[in-house]
Amino acid sequence: MPMYMCNAAKGVIDDAAKPKIAADITRIHCEVTGAPPQFVHAFFLDDAPTPPIAGKKAALFGSIRAGRDAAQKDRIIDEMRRSVHAHAGIPLEDIAMTTADVPASWVLEGGEIMPEPGEEAEWLAKHGAGSPAE
Amino acid sequence: MIACNCVVQAGQISADAEATLRGRLNEFAQRSFGAPAEINWIAIPERSGFTAGNPSTSSVISMRANAPVSPSARETLLRELCGIWTGETGCSLDEVVGVISDPQPN
Repeated sequence: MPMYMCNAAKGVIDDAAKPKIAADITRIHCEVTGAPPQFVHAFFLDDAPTPPIAGKKAALFGSIRAGRDAAQKDRIIDEMRRSVHAHAGIPLEDIAMTTADVPASWVLEGGEIMPEPGEEAEWLAKHGAGSPAE
Repeated sequence: MIACNCVVQAGQISADAEATLRGRLNEFAQRSFGAPAEINWIAIPERSGFTAGNPSTSSVISMRANAPVSPSARETLLRELCGIWTGETGCSLDEVVGVISDPQPN
């Protein structure tokens, strides 16, 4: 967690664009929240029922740990939509995005309850990962 | 019914393992919440899943409880849920994300 799902009309986001968008999603989330990249999942779907495309060409949905403020969420949404626009060539107005807060205590990842935002160091130490800054 | 979403990487879990997991998850939901699981199995196409920007081997299993769950009970349930997954798939705990949510407010 976070988990970002990107659903698009079939063929709109090709396999060459996906790793570039995924790299951007990871970078943007980490830059905005300070979370370590190990936590960031980015999954792409073609014409799936959810997240609903609803008349657009692509829809992003981010399940993120609760505790991020409105400005952080707005920046995540703006920059991730721009990444999809840049790498897939979809007009910005055809890219929808929403986020939902998930309490950290609801999530088990790597065999441990997820840490609250900003308290990742102990979790990372247990998993042999570097510091969040790495 | 207990809503259960299983997000997996396509080709990572065999059809036999998927069938077994569906049964085990349903048993888990019945035992834990007193209701069957309504399983939504979402296979991420090949070359379409990434963790930390690299190709992903992660699965995300989420269930929505039908009543609020205490922190201690939730951790116990999450450990059992992820244990079912690793036991049946052979993946490691580092490749599993488990989520048990409280009911959505009306």
